[in-house]
Amino acid sequence: MRIGLLTEGGYPYVSGDARLWCDRLVRGLGQHEFEVYALSRSERQEAEGWIPLPSQVDRVITAPLWTAEDDGVHYGRRARRRFAECYGELAAALCTGRPGDPAAPGEAPAAEADRFGNALYGLAELARDEGGLVGALRSETAVRALERACRAPGALRDAREARVPDLLAVAAHLERALRPLSLDWYEDDGLGSVDLCHATSGGPAALPGLLARHFHGVPLLVTEYGVRLRTHYLAATDAPPAVRALLAAFHGRLAAETYERAAVITPGNAHARRWQERCGADRTKLRTVYPGMDASRFAEVGESAESADADTLVWVGRIEPAKDLVSLLHAFAEIRKEEPKTRLRIVGAPADPEGTAYLGHCKALAAQLFPDEAEGPHSVGDNPVSFEEIGGPELPTLADAYAAGAVTVLSSVVEGFPISLVEAMFCGRATVSTDVGAVVEVIGGTGLVVPPRNPRALGEACLALLRDPERRERLGAAARARALELFTVEQNTTAFHGIYLEIVSHTPVRRLVLDDTGEPLPFAVPAEAHVPGRWTGPAARVVARGGPAWAAGAPVRAGSAMPATHATPATEGAR
Amino acid sequence: MSGLGELDRPGAPGGAEAWDERSGEWVAEVGGADAVPEGTAVSAVSEQAHAPAPNRRPTPRRTAADPVKALMHRHRELCERAVDPLEIAAGLEAHGVTDRTATRFRHRDVFSLAEEMYARAAHDEETAPRPTTLTPTRAHTSWILLTLLPGTLCAATVAALRLTHGQAHAIALAVGVLAAVLALRAALTRGPLAPTNGTLPGSARHSSGSRAWTCWLVAYALLGDGLLEAAVAGGPDALPGASADSSWAVATAPVLALSLACAPAAWCAHLFAVSARRRLDTSRGLEDFTASARPLLLGAFALFLSALSALLAVCGVVLGESPAYAQTVTLGALLLLARLLTAHGFTHAPAILLGAAAAAEATALATVFAGRLPGCGFLATPVETAADTWGPGTVPTLVCSVAALTLLVHATRTLTRASAHAPVDQPC
Repeated sequence: MRIGLLTEGGYPYVSGDARLWCDRLVRGLGQHEFEVYALSRSERQEAEGWIPLPSQVDRVITAPLWTAEDDGVHYGRRARRRFAECYGELAAALCTGRPGDPAAPGEAPAAEADRFGNALYGLAELARDEGGLVGALRSETAVRALERACRAPGALRDAREARVPDLLAVAAHLERALRPLSLDWYEDDGLGSVDLCHATSGGPAALPGLLARHFHGVPLLVTEYGVRLRTHYLAATDAPPAVRALLAAFHGRLAAETYERAAVITPGNAHARRWQERCGADRTKLRTVYPGMDASRFAEVGESAESADADTLVWVGRIEPAKDLVSLLHAFAEIRKEEPKTRLRIVGAPADPEGTAYLGHCKALAAQLFPDEAEGPHSVGDNPVSFEEIGGPELPTLADAYAAGAVTVLSSVVEGFPISLVEAMFCGRATVSTDVGAVVEVIGGTGLVVPPRNPRALGEACLALLRDPERRERLGAAARARALELFTVEQNTTAFHGIYLEIVSHTPVRRLVLDDTGEPLPFAVPAEAHVPGRWTGPAARVVARGGPAWAAGAPVRAGSAMPATHATPATEGAR
Repeated sequence: MSGLGELDRPGAPGGAEAWDERSGEWVAEVGGADAVPEGTAVSAVSEQAHAPAPNRRPTPRRTAADPVKALMHRHRELCERAVDPLEIAAGLEAHGVTDRTATRFRHRDVFSLAEEMYARAAHDEETAPRPTTLTPTRAHTSWILLTLLPGTLCAATVAALRLTHGQAHAIALAVGVLAAVLALRAALTRGPLAPTNGTLPGSARHSSGSRAWTCWLVAYALLGDGLLEAAVAGGPDALPGASADSSWAVATAPVLALSLACAPAAWCAHLFAVSARRRLDTSRGLEDFTASARPLLLGAFALFLSALSALLAVCGVVLGESPAYAQTVTLGALLLLARLLTAHGFTHAPAILLGAAAAAEATALATVFAGRLPGCGFLATPVETAADTWGPGTVPTLVCSVAALTLLVHATRTLTRASAHAPVDQPC
């Protein structure tokens, strides 16, 4: 099976996001062929080069997102009119009410929702036929279309206030966001030749997948470990409200269109899943696939009988304000009142200047809360709280850090997917964590969870575990079993393997078989190979590609040509 | 570590104040103090740690009747700037608000909480004053010196040519021309006359053509009139400058004036760009901008023409030559408009018109020489008649004025568009 792996600023670049996951996926699925289509995010990223690729990667095709290549094509009258129509539709779709708007729950008509998609594919077809889209997206025609859409009745309130610089800024952003439309990836020997597009993130990476689906009917699988739309919202800019409103509308509609067209969407945790559902993803398409981690590093610690110091708490992670070590120190103060022999080891290093400042702050707080203690009057004292880094003589590896304590504590106030918690679970350690991010989902019932910013509750939970070694052991064993079941690399790879097969079995790519002279070979694909209509019950949303339109379930696109697939003659034969 | 956790990690609370504030808040709760100034958190905690009240329950706080209002107050900046509820939801999550927290505010999840906050904030926002955005003008002044360079070098070359003889004369000529051309190139790659997006392959193709045609047009201004006059009179007998009484006269004053005019050209272009950008900020719509930009363009153009005329007059007096006003001013106008269009990203029209003008001048010269062939005398008639009647300067005047007028019409349509003045790079 040929998989088109679509990435943006990720694999195979050395500094890419989630490259380790992609690398494991590609290496783990050696039975498939991979073609990597990578969008690079900056010139520096391109200069840093690629990580070594396994042999199952057939080829890597890259394109820059950070620069535009104007091919100098000037549109004729007809192409200009076509562009103005499509762009006008796009602008109008952005300026009218947003999907999932609470003011209009569920009453966004299909035609309205399709407007954005139609405009997008119209622009893509124009770029494919004529080229020159980069120049056109920057032209006065585009700005005029935006202005008209903003001034139209029924436009968003923020959009109505857009002034000329705002319009220019929006046009520039849209040009940047729509750069994947101008790529030459959508030919028969490019994305047209793969069986499945796997977008490793939403947003720009999914755009080529959408177009491959539109042009060639290639099914699209979208994996989002971080929801792209949310990243867009969090990347706060000082742009005027009109610009932010229109761009948020664009990214929201792009996400909705991606979720609508994708065959399967795999969020990385329940939080991402909630966002995707909120943005219009169909529940039946969602399959949560947890990120996999290498469990072998922790096998020795996890399988050995508990040998750790029974009075030691361990915190492992990157030191930064969101980890709320202050709260942990206060909780530890509560613990010390009850169990004076307890020690706390904080293992980690700051990643940025802010983290360094925070570390200093925490050290000062620890020194003030807990004076140094000594065994007797003649020995040198030591602080019960120690700040350490991995790689030193005491803690050579990460697993040793977890092994050093009886209980692992997580005190964050903000957390995504808590990796240190999963590592502690692999090590078979009992854990106490705050209820943030995906913690509850990860820990299940195999550890204690307390509210964030509640040092007293955190302290009490730790005390409960410190005083009960049996419970500690039971929870640790359960945690390790759960982690091995859910969070291993093998689990991740197997899940994707299954999803690939599932998608392809529902949407097989039927290629036109050519004979030696290049003529289509009639009856090369027997009619029995294609069963029109639904195979399973009405719940199955994924419908055989090339099947009759009534079987597709989805609203028929108004005003757009039928996607030109290779499969047409075979389909005709099947009918 | 796989690094995937980073992808979904909500952004950390912005800035160091987030944890200061938070820890301060907690300190206030435990210590019973209502207002603990930031930065004194550590000492306050240490006092509390030694305080003799081990088992005191924290005093309940935040007992307001409307909990969402307090939340909105805490995140008022987020609520004010949000353009839709999802933005508030993302911001709240980045500050650690989860679905479980949202239930405290009697909401099912963060999304519905964010919707309420967005709906309630939107009412207050109506009256909020809109921040005025003034794009700061960058003060790069190095280009001012660069624009003076071609004129200075050209003047030095002319002076050297007047003072030297023999081999030194030839060397001065070669060095001077080379230096002037390099300086001109440097002046055109920096500052307001530089193309804003010179990396585009299409513009590169056009710009090399434009450059060649510009050189040809300037060379014609230097040598063309003399050659045409000599040709009409039956010459030329020798290369210009070969002998003192050569019939092929060289017009240095126009070229010197044109090279000196680089500076006013750059200033006019700068003036136009800056004032257009200011209009961009103040105008309400695209039509509005176009209407207000047209006088700016024409004003800058007129300013340049008058500066060029003044320079021409000065050069004519200093060099003791006749300042060929008509042909030089029209050529200057043509070059300025071509450069302005190129600088704003419109490379197609200038390349065509410069090429057409150069071709027309070359054709005029060629017809005169072709007229000497047997049976082809009629070819030379139009140019000879014109040269005899109004002087040899008629040809470049006519050609350049037609080309400049065409470009002027084109520029008033394209350079007055808002998209021509879009800032090049904007943060995402």
